[in-house]
Amino acid sequence: MSLCLLDEDSFRSSCKLLLQQSEELRDSWTWEPGSSEEGYLKKIALKSVVIDSSLKWNLIDDDEGEAADVCGLSEGSSSSQVFQYEYHIVYSCSYRTPALYFRACTLEGRSLSLEEVWSSVHPNLRLRLKHCPLNTITQQEHPLLGQPFFLLHPCRTQDFMRPVLQAAHQQNRSVNYVLTWLSVVGPLVGLDVPLHYSISSSSTKPD
Amino acid sequence: MIIVVLMCLKLMVLLFFSLCNLAVLSVCEVTMASGTSEAGSSDLKLQFAPFSSALEAGFWHQLTQKKLNDYRLDESPKCIKGYYYNGDPVGLPTRLTLEFSAFDVDGPTPVRCCPAIGTLYNTNTLDAFKATDKKALLEKEAKEIWDAIESGTALKDPSILCRFILLTFADLKKYHFYYWFCFPALCFSEGIKIVQQPSVLEQVFSAKQIAALQEAYDDLCIKRGTTAVPYFLMKYTDDTVRMAPLGDWEAFFTDTKKVTVGVYDPCTLSQHPGWPLRNLLILLAYRWGSKLDTVEVLCFRDRTMQGSRSIHHSVIFQVKLPTFAPNSACPKSVGWEKNPKGAMGPRMVNLSECMDPKRLAESSVDLNLKLMRWRLVPSLDLDKVINTKCLLLGAGTLGCNVARTLMGWGVRHITFVDNAKISYSNPVRQPLYEFEDCLGGGKSKAMAAVERLTKIFPGVNAEGYNMSIPMPGHPVNFSQTTLSQAQRDVEQLEKLISEHDVVFLLMDTRESRWLPTVIAASKRKLVVNAALGFDTFVVMRHGLKKPLVTGSAPSVPGSSLFSNIPGHKLGCYFCNDVVAPGDSTRDRTLDQQCTVSRPGLAMIAGALAVEMMVSILQHTEGGYAVASSSDDRMNEPPTSLGLVPHQIRGFLSRFDNVLPASLAFDKCTACSPIVLDHYEREGFQFLSKVFNSSHSFLEDLTGLTLLHQETQAAEVNHPHTNMYTNSCRPNSCS
Ligand SMILES: [Zn+2]
Repeated sequence: MSLCLLDEDSFRSSCKLLLQQSEELRDSWTWEPGSSEEGYLKKIALKSVVIDSSLKWNLIDDDEGEAADVCGLSEGSSSSQVFQYEYHIVYSCSYRTPALYFRACTLEGRSLSLEEVWSSVHPNLRLRLKHCPLNTITQQEHPLLGQPFFLLHPCRTQDFMRPVLQAAHQQNRSVNYVLTWLSVVGPLVGLDVPLHYSISSSSTKPD
Repeated sequence: MIIVVLMCLKLMVLLFFSLCNLAVLSVCEVTMASGTSEAGSSDLKLQFAPFSSALEAGFWHQLTQKKLNDYRLDESPKCIKGYYYNGDPVGLPTRLTLEFSAFDVDGPTPVRCCPAIGTLYNTNTLDAFKATDKKALLEKEAKEIWDAIESGTALKDPSILCRFILLTFADLKKYHFYYWFCFPALCFSEGIKIVQQPSVLEQVFSAKQIAALQEAYDDLCIKRGTTAVPYFLMKYTDDTVRMAPLGDWEAFFTDTKKVTVGVYDPCTLSQHPGWPLRNLLILLAYRWGSKLDTVEVLCFRDRTMQGSRSIHHSVIFQVKLPTFAPNSACPKSVGWEKNPKGAMGPRMVNLSECMDPKRLAESSVDLNLKLMRWRLVPSLDLDKVINTKCLLLGAGTLGCNVARTLMGWGVRHITFVDNAKISYSNPVRQPLYEFEDCLGGGKSKAMAAVERLTKIFPGVNAEGYNMSIPMPGHPVNFSQTTLSQAQRDVEQLEKLISEHDVVFLLMDTRESRWLPTVIAASKRKLVVNAALGFDTFVVMRHGLKKPLVTGSAPSVPGSSLFSNIPGHKLGCYFCNDVVAPGDSTRDRTLDQQCTVSRPGLAMIAGALAVEMMVSILQHTEGGYAVASSSDDRMNEPPTSLGLVPHQIRGFLSRFDNVLPASLAFDKCTACSPIVLDHYEREGFQFLSKVFNSSHSFLEDLTGLTLLHQETQAAEVNHPHTNMYTNSCRPNSCS
């Protein structure tokens, strides 16, 4: 039982370990400190997605001629659009597990709806959700930023972490809770956790 | 391949090049060949990939906070910070990113990213935004860069070479943000001549040199105490690479015949450098242009994929810099970002969906429901539910609970009708009211309910009508005033029923249900009725008469008395009664007025009423759906949500529900053809007769009186008051 729970100190040390590996692998996780002890892991990933006609730019026609710039490369209108995906790993005191907050926005900073996020991540949203046991997603304020994010709800986390942790415990293997958890939940929302993490984690055992 | 300055000639030039197969070709020859006169342009010119602005959602949140709390009406320029990165995979645009930390200029920059300092001009009005002199802003910024180049401060702190301007207007009522970026670049009037075509580093450098280069760069970073160096100087041999900061030029380069400069390059194109190089080349030309033969440029790109780092794809090329005459004026400058149409113009982003709390509440509610659909009931038609307009007749215990459950389903359009005021006993059982609402004689229930609904969920479209519903046996003909009031009430109710899709009968008297039952039956509106006893309740849908146009309903031979009754043949609340409403002494049906219910009962019945409506809406035939019975509990359900019963009768004492179904009664005092016919032909004339007469009027009209006489004579039960409905009808007034 207590095996499946994560206290805040372990969360932080787990995150620290993940950060070290991220630094080695030049993955872009960073630790964003909150007030006092609090903080969260953050990663931004960019993806170029084939443009959807529903995602149109808002333009104001205000053509103020600037002298033609012979040295500026003028790019043709591209058929793809770039989205910025933001992932935050925050400690959930009530569930005593990590919680994954995420949002995606256009380069203008407009947040995407969950459907838009998903359709850009998984071609078949419905199929994906149907076959996924951890698909409890809500829209919530980020506990430290106060801005709206999507939250992969931590209520199921213990259920799927228990067997992993128990197996590891039996084999006397140390497991980075946050990393193991992330490799399960990340792909659901388009966050890839490189395999190299698990390779480097088995080679660099803590303690 | 080579991309050439004269865009209109691009195709011709490409053709020409491929024919000649020459690496460098004078553009003059091409222009002459094509017959256009583009005087002054000669040779292949270097072209830079401009920055694309990239704003994170957090930036706008933070700008909003700043505007509300710090800047307020202050329009003076503010210093902000963005960053750019040289490790993007191919295909991403060259970006300058601003996130929520942009306002914290002294804060950390993300690892291995270069900071870029900018000036924010946030105007107070859209007019001011539009009227801002963009040319002047750009020239001011360009002048500062030029001054720094002239004075030499740019050598010590080359970050001034990569600056930006951000012009914004934040409409915080609509959460619309207007913005326009500028990345100021000074221009050589004739462009920059390419001497050696851009090549990928690994084609020019040996593996050993590349490794040495990477090491030298990392060392420089460590020496400078950062993780990214925007500009640097470089010397190399076959197996060594040395680097130095820009300011060390004089000491580092003793021979200026050929120098190599490095730029941290955010561009991913193989033939073009990104924007940060532009002003550096101006600096070099200004200070050493006359001494330099050619300048070799390394566009340093440094990416890590799947855990392995590479700089092999960096780009290297040589250019010949023009020279500036001594004491030259500041060159002309460019840099305002084009909008996505490719035109010069600002952009606007509408963030109401993620910043307006009301919109947030709406999207969160919708998301919750959508998740239910995605996860559990894929065929659930949520729009059908959400767009249903519900009329709640009665805003008491049932009305409050029905409204709350409707809101849970995302129903947006809810209208209350009630003439009561909130009394002290109400708030504990009626969850839309509070103690305060009872003071001073009490607020009107219909109005208070609307107020509370809007507080609970601002996205709701709620309306309240504080009005009475005329009842049979309750005369309205005391005076012309009371009569015309009754007429107005009837007209209002008719109008409301017409305007809604589902009518909920949630009143506390049986008589008051009669008029809406008649009107709704006539208008073919779906009626969901809920009534409470002490520990029993009934929730039922009224039979939905066949549409008027089809004439008389064709009889379905297959349906027996109690099973497979299609929706149009189902009875209404009054069909089971052998007495007309209006006579309280003979009234044996359940209604709250004569009893007090167990407190949980209204919540159960109210919730069931809404869930029944939702199930009906999910049925392809809606209100015409065949009634499911208790026996159908074992069968394949007719909708994605399950059964669509006619009635749910609950017995709290046994914690049990049954699902009876019954046929419409041809002598029903509310929905029989003769009643509807009289109502449709005579309108208020007929209704006022019903209000003003005793119950015998309706009983005579429908033939119930005759039936009673026959029944009493024969001493047998009426065939319609079958065992099922009789035994299941809870007796409340005992
Ligand atoms: Zn009836």
